[in-house]
Amino acid sequence: MTLSFLEKKKFPRSRKNFNSLASLKGQMKIQQMAFMIVAVFFFFVLVGLFFLEIQFKDIKSGAAQLQKDQAISSLKVIADMPELNYNSRESMMIDEDKLKIISGSFGLDYDLFWPVASVGIYKIYPAFNEIKKCPGLGCNFYEIYNSEQKNVKTYSTYVSICKKMKEYGSVYDRCEVGKLVVGVKIYEE
Amino acid sequence: MKNKGQQEMVGFVLIVVLVMIGMMVFLVISLRDSPENKGSLEVGNILDAIMKHTTECAIVYEPDYDNFEDLFKSCHQGDVCNNLNESACDYLNESLQVVISDLMKSEASVSAYQLDFFVKDDEGQLGLLQISDGNCTGNVNSAQRNVVSNSDSLIIRMKMCN
Repeated sequence: MTLSFLEKKKFPRSRKNFNSLASLKGQMKIQQMAFMIVAVFFFFVLVGLFFLEIQFKDIKSGAAQLQKDQAISSLKVIADMPELNYNSRESMMIDEDKLKIISGSFGLDYDLFWPVASVGIYKIYPAFNEIKKCPGLGCNFYEIYNSEQKNVKTYSTYVSICKKMKEYGSVYDRCEVGKLVVGVKIYEE
Repeated sequence: MKNKGQQEMVGFVLIVVLVMIGMMVFLVISLRDSPENKGSLEVGNILDAIMKHTTECAIVYEPDYDNFEDLFKSCHQGDVCNNLNESACDYLNESLQVVISDLMKSEASVSAYQLDFFVKDDEGQLGLLQISDGNCTGNVNSAQRNVVSNSDSLIIRMKMCN
């Protein structure tokens, strides 16, 4: 009897306190878990972004390489034109005699022919410090066409510059390393 | 209560450690040497232009001068440049070095290059010549050409580092 009285008198209050304390702790737990989930989520998002950045870097460099290869392939079309080509059976071989003619006054008639802003060919070997325009003694640069346009991006590739030579009564082909440089107009939007 | 807190901490540390290991693996994969572009059009064109370059070496008579492609064969066959009184291999080594170094002067973006000339047969590869210069820090582009000489396959491989 005394005990039940005591229970009735004392415990109802402390049970209420215990319940409110437990619910507070539960809320804290839920908040803690929510913060943890958000933190882990952001952490994984950052890791994902880092991963994507590196992946896209590879894609960008691949795209740049493909663009470069495409430009070089386009240069092959110019090098293999009958106006420049040395031997129709061989690709990327330029006839030096044709170069001499087309880079001279005869080339003015070809102004509307070239689908690009500029075309030039350098003799790479032996190395030079200053550019000497051909025709001339010790020249190293044949300027085939130059529209004098601004905003031009240049692409280049290596070619062979060949010519027929005569020594000791025999004719032979002499080829040297050259560089074909083509300028393409950049259209700004 | 204390036990639960410890469990949570262990769980969190485990997640962090796992993510760190994952990132480390990923970094190692992404930072290891970038794969070599073996079919580079640019390097292929350079190699083609070099191979067609006419040298001063005439094996039989003047003016039947070898180009570098013929000179690689002559070197493999142990021929001598008659007009220069020099072995084809020695002349190849000297002249190729000069031509390539001049060629690279026009390529500002190239930090290093290497040209290998070797014979490939059933037993393996036998290196005959190697020309290289510079320290490679970037991407490697390469191309190779095969030349047949006396039923052997001669391989000329060029690598360029941008």
